[in-house]
Amino acid sequence: MVEFNAKKVAEVHQHLHSHLPSDSALRVKALETLLVEKGLINPESIDAWIEAYTEDIGPKRGAHIVAKAWCDPDFKQRLVQDAPSAIDELDYLGNATGHLKVIENTASVHNLVVCTLCSCYPFSILGIAPAWYKAEAYRSRAVRDPRGVLAEFGVQISDDIEVRVWDSTAELRYLVLPQRPSDTEALGEDELASLVTRNSMIGTDRELVKKDEVKV
Amino acid sequence: MDGIHDVGGKQGYGAIDVDEVDLYKTGKAFHHDWEAREWGISRCARTPDITIDWWRHCRELIAPVDYLSRPYFDTWAQTDFATYIDGGFFTLDEVCSGHSNSDNNPFDEVPPKPMSKADAVIADSQKAFRFDAVINDQPIFTIGDRVITNKHGHSGHTRLPQYARNCIGKIHALNGAHVFPDLSAQGKQTHQHLYSVVFETGELWPDTANKHDKVFLDLWESYLCAK
Repeated sequence: MVEFNAKKVAEVHQHLHSHLPSDSALRVKALETLLVEKGLINPESIDAWIEAYTEDIGPKRGAHIVAKAWCDPDFKQRLVQDAPSAIDELDYLGNATGHLKVIENTASVHNLVVCTLCSCYPFSILGIAPAWYKAEAYRSRAVRDPRGVLAEFGVQISDDIEVRVWDSTAELRYLVLPQRPSDTEALGEDELASLVTRNSMIGTDRELVKKDEVKV
Repeated sequence: MDGIHDVGGKQGYGAIDVDEVDLYKTGKAFHHDWEAREWGISRCARTPDITIDWWRHCRELIAPVDYLSRPYFDTWAQTDFATYIDGGFFTLDEVCSGHSNSDNNPFDEVPPKPMSKADAVIADSQKAFRFDAVINDQPIFTIGDRVITNKHGHSGHTRLPQYARNCIGKIHALNGAHVFPDLSAQGKQTHQHLYSVVFETGELWPDTANKHDKVFLDLWESYLCAK
């Protein structure tokens, strides 16, 4: 039975600090070995989950959602009103998106997503988060100096644009809907999806560009 | 708890690694194989009775020196060790030796069958867990209400960050009643109304670049008082 004993766990962490191998690979190997020996896990299933999150589940799903919202006003309306139902139409509803919210960038608003307390992320539509998203440098500054953070990513935000930072403190997760690039009326959903960057769906990218344009 | 994990607004962590390779563009998802193994373990290991809030709290309880210096997925592995020890699944001796002591194996179950990638994709679609519920209590606040957040936290798990304590904001949205993390981390499932609360950055930070920028947090009713 789980004891929910925080004092004990703090002591366990002190022991682990002293007794676990320093090498991360050895630590994880030890964890896997114990779980297999205890009958709690099948190692082939670990392989399956790695393949699923490398090949099938990732930011290309998010990009598809964005491109479809640009092309299909009815889908966009459903997405903004009830994102879990809308992404379920594409079979993208899953891990950490049961309470998804879609927040739309406009000419006067820029959205930026962070989790200051841990590293909450909408896994089933963006896959594994980049390391910077989980690092203290981003998590600490995104809420205090969002314009400085954006500048570091090469995104200049003029003073008349309002920056909205979303700190994922509950089980709600956020997907930024970036603005559609100009001169893309002739492009189909797949071509549009290829223009959508992972960072633009977190909010650390803003101006998306057509493939034949060079970003300065 | 006022722990090392609560980094919002803290200073001195330096530059962001904006040049990190976007792995998915290279056909990969992980920088290292061991990170991938830890991710896979976290997706499919049996974890009876563990709540997400208890797991998060166990990660917060990692000593600050380890929290800040160990790689991210390494801290997941350490959290897994701690929760399995707390749950009686592993002993500390087993963890330190890296092998099960079969005399101390509490399980008498058939090992799980292997999954295929297609199984994992389907299983992921079934992990769209919801944390909301209908409760009898009506929400105290409505959209536009001015609220002030609690001045103090407590020693357990909580999701009101230090930087947003004792601050005045406005109710931006009602999200229904959600599992209350402070008690869920103790194994007690209760629900409270959850609000999206908007704060002007000028209220949160004295040195903000644009005091009309906004920070939104999702906060439970007992974190808030009318202002």
